[in-house]
Amino acid sequence: MGQGWARTALALAHDYRSRVRRAGEVGLFLLPFASFWVVFRLVPVAYGVVISLYRWDPLGEAEFVGLRNYWNLAGDPRFWNALRQTFTFAALVVPAILAAGLALGLFVFSHRHTRTGRWVEAAFFFPYLLTVSVVGLVWRWLLDPDFGMVLLALRQAGVRPPVFLNEPAWALPAVAFATTWWLAGYRMVLFRAALEDIPEEVFDAAKVDGARGARLLGSVILPLLKPAVLFALVLTGISGFIVFGQVLIMTAGGPGRASEVLALYLYRFGFEYLDMGRAAAAGVVIFCLILALTVGAFRWLGYGGAL
Amino acid sequence: MSGKVTRRKFLQVALAAAVAGPVGRLRPALAQGRVLVLDYYTLFHSGDAAAMELIVRKFNAEDQGVRLNLLQGQWAEYYAQLFAAVGAGNAPHIGICHTSRVMDVYRALTPLEESRAGNLLETARIRASDYTKKVWDAGVYQGKRYLVPLDSHMWGLWYNKDLFRQAGLDPERPPETREEFERACEALKSRTGRMAFHPCEDALPRKIRRAWEIFFWGLGGELLSPDGRRAAFNDERGLRALDYLVTLSRRGWHQPGTDGFKLFAAGQVGMLLAGNWYLPTAKASGVNFGFHYVPKFFDRPVTWGDSHNLVIPRQRPERASNEVLVAAIQAIKWINENSHLWGIHGGHIPAYLPAQRSRELLESDSWKLALRKFSEMANRGWVHYPVIHPKAPQIHAAIEPAIQEAYNLRLSPREALARAEAEVNRVLAG
Repeated sequence: MGQGWARTALALAHDYRSRVRRAGEVGLFLLPFASFWVVFRLVPVAYGVVISLYRWDPLGEAEFVGLRNYWNLAGDPRFWNALRQTFTFAALVVPAILAAGLALGLFVFSHRHTRTGRWVEAAFFFPYLLTVSVVGLVWRWLLDPDFGMVLLALRQAGVRPPVFLNEPAWALPAVAFATTWWLAGYRMVLFRAALEDIPEEVFDAAKVDGARGARLLGSVILPLLKPAVLFALVLTGISGFIVFGQVLIMTAGGPGRASEVLALYLYRFGFEYLDMGRAAAAGVVIFCLILALTVGAFRWLGYGGAL
Repeated sequence: MSGKVTRRKFLQVALAAAVAGPVGRLRPALAQGRVLVLDYYTLFHSGDAAAMELIVRKFNAEDQGVRLNLLQGQWAEYYAQLFAAVGAGNAPHIGICHTSRVMDVYRALTPLEESRAGNLLETARIRASDYTKKVWDAGVYQGKRYLVPLDSHMWGLWYNKDLFRQAGLDPERPPETREEFERACEALKSRTGRMAFHPCEDALPRKIRRAWEIFFWGLGGELLSPDGRRAAFNDERGLRALDYLVTLSRRGWHQPGTDGFKLFAAGQVGMLLAGNWYLPTAKASGVNFGFHYVPKFFDRPVTWGDSHNLVIPRQRPERASNEVLVAAIQAIKWINENSHLWGIHGGHIPAYLPAQRSRELLESDSWKLALRKFSEMANRGWVHYPVIHPKAPQIHAAIEPAIQEAYNLRLSPREALARAEAEVNRVLAG
């Protein structure tokens, strides 16, 4: 009996030691990334929240003002306009990127053994390799009213095109189109990888049951792609809400303020008017929006328990 | 000894390389001995950036014990970068500041007569009498001098002589009054089929605002009340000026949303209002162009203008010793003494009078093509600075979207001015 207890105690101690050792190993492996994440992500975010409570002067003393920066945001029609433009942009770009990514992913998956499939995959993934400034400049030139290829082609086709980047109704959709062109390729790769994870037998069984086209997509493929859809949705939602570079380069927020999104509002107040407090408050709003979107996406797709 | 690379050996080599790298990079700096390296950041781009690069190359070629490390920034982000650099204690030793920005940028600058290295102007023998008076006088804020003028720059009228001929106009007699201007627009429109006039360079919002300001100032208006606390442009003058900007498009002389820089360089525009920095582009375009004063559109002749100034951003002692401050002011003096090159290659009018009157500049193509007339506009007092106010960037940002929408024919001028006025007053009250 006594020996049994001793053995159990020894086994428990051994188990404890190996668990501690394992935790130590895991910690060591995580340490490089975790330290970068803390220094370059967590600390700046926390610091941003602190700045949002101050009248922050980069060259002088900071004065604690509580929630006044948030109050000023709430009373600024320009902020509400920026919020509206951000939602409009996200509403345009998120479905467009997901739909284009899924359509391309399905096409590439169904043509995965052909040269066409490989060409399509390479062609549509290529834009994702470009930086945002290149994407912005290329599309600004393509849509240039005087020398742009797109407008030239439309004119030659007998269409009288709008001056996309100088029309309030067209500026944001034009940026959304360029963003879709830029980002859909990565979603295509994601969806293609997820499609390859679906066992072949599932497709065979669906065929035997007579599922084709929309039915196959809606009842078989999409439910099995849920984790990939969630990942792509969160990723794309974040891209939609923090859009900045392509707007700055293609329209600079104009014409008027027709495409001034929240991140651009933040940039202007922070770096052009040096009102860091208000810019930080706008940053906190963006952070909260993205957090809410992510939680909402998890719940909507039935992964609420994972949170 | 085995040639096999073990993990331990790899880590040892990597660690040694990581330590040796920075030390290795230090060696050339140490080897430079007494050569001081000064960081010089500007907001210049395109033609004037190339001109400043040429001046700095000349400076560095002369053995002065000082080397300038030139970094040319984007116009729009320059001041943000300057503030961030000063705030982080990593400011460039020499920078550029517009005269119109002194009220909001001065906190990032060294007061030149009261620096910790003493009176830097005296040290470098920089004298007021060597500079254009108006520009020199504008370099003081709250009794302290922060700016050493580099140039004057302004807008003028660029016109295409070949299109003038085609339209039956005299290419040696460009328009000077509104009546002549309108006649020229009508002739260019009807006889060449090209765009008659572009009022605002590349049509960025700030350029559209400048075009409106030229009309508005010509009517005697000012953006703000004399105490700087209220918007003062939503009156008959502001409305008349904006109506005129809109009329240019309504009468078919102009197409909003187009880029005047590109169109003029492609020979597609008869007349263009643009700054002197357009000179290198105009010369390179191959267009047979002429240059003239801004026509007198309303009651008095006026043009938009400003000045670039050389400055020493605020330095921390651990980054810049007194010796460095003295080297910086001497480099500033040298740049001005060679600023005839700034005129010849950058198209700006030097503020340093000996450079402005130098034979090299006066005999240059640039002077004959455009700078002489720019200089005359400056001497006649036609140059109007943008609003000088601590909140100038916000005031401009409040005005520009509404003016742009009116220019794009999306908003009535009356509504645009009311909207801009409300927003400017909100900015001023905040």
